[in-house]
Amino acid sequence: MMTKYHLTVHNDDQMFIEKILNHISDWGKFWFGLIFLGSIFNAILEKFTYLSGTSYIWVLAFGSGALIGLVAKIRGAWL
Amino acid sequence: MRESQEIAEEFSFDKEKAIAKSFSQRFQWEMILIGLGQAVIWLSLWPLVLSGFLDLWAGFLIASLCACFAYLPSHEAQHGNYSRGNPKLRWLDSLVGHITLITLKFPYHILRITHMKHHAYTNDPVKDPDYANAHNTSVLKVVKNVLDGSTVQFDKFLEVFQNDKAFVNAFHQAIPIAMFYKFAPLVLVIIFPFETLLLWWLPAKIGSVYTTVFFSYYPHLGTSTGRYMNTRFWSHWMPRFLNHSMQLHFVHHLHPNIGHYDEPKAIEALKPFLIARKVPGAEQIPEKVTLNPLINI
Repeated sequence: MMTKYHLTVHNDDQMFIEKILNHISDWGKFWFGLIFLGSIFNAILEKFTYLSGTSYIWVLAFGSGALIGLVAKIRGAWL
Repeated sequence: MRESQEIAEEFSFDKEKAIAKSFSQRFQWEMILIGLGQAVIWLSLWPLVLSGFLDLWAGFLIASLCACFAYLPSHEAQHGNYSRGNPKLRWLDSLVGHITLITLKFPYHILRITHMKHHAYTNDPVKDPDYANAHNTSVLKVVKNVLDGSTVQFDKFLEVFQNDKAFVNAFHQAIPIAMFYKFAPLVLVIIFPFETLLLWWLPAKIGSVYTTVFFSYYPHLGTSTGRYMNTRFWSHWMPRFLNHSMQLHFVHHLHPNIGHYDEPKAIEALKPFLIARKVPGAEQIPEKVTLNPLINI
């Protein structure tokens, strides 16, 4: 189960930070997959494959990253 | 402690402590040099690689080496071994502790407070933050867990120690840095994908695997609880330089203020005490721990 962060003193700023922390805790793997893995896949496809220069190649790259991240989020682990 | 009934007076804790204290005075300049030095080298890789002066793969190798050297200087800072109790020098602990961990992408506040709990509750399955690493069934599983990120269960220990105000405050202090380490690679990777992967993310993973295997797994493998039983003397085919002399880690658990590079001499002096206390592996400690780190103990 994901831990929910509770800061000891609450004001608007801390509530906002708490929401961000909880979001990262819940969805961190998905965002990492989408942004980090997606960017790496995109760069690899652009540089090293015959798909280089193809339109919408980024959809494949970021889609794959997001999918891997989503699977990791559902499984609760990357490996 | 039932010490007086079981341990001869010549090996009393007071005498052990006095010897250990004599090795706990020296200024740890080597660690400061290594900690700040590796961080400067790592930072300089970025302009060197991005401007084409250095090949990315060479940068990757250097960054991975930097990451392997990154933890120990912070570890000395976590124990206050730079300031040595002098309030005017505490900034030095913080400076080295924070800066050296850039390569590994870990917030110093969290590593410091969880490491203090590791010392306080070594091998306690519930309260020792390193327990999952030290008591895994194989090196490969440790490697897998580190790569997976599942050894970093900081949120779990935030619940375990939720009534410890200092522990919770340290976590709160670490939030901005933790968020920086979360978001910075996500921003950088959009602009410099291969550089972010090979100069930061992957080296940080390699450094974390190295640190966990040699600092956490091997020293505590098969040990139990108790001051003299929770860490062991072990040997390895590897030259000491390559595993940061972690065969000697048990003396750090007994006396954390002994500086890392003073541990070999301290162990020679303390060997009779360690044997008397039945520290695991103590009989195998050589009379002279070689100062040449390129050969095995």
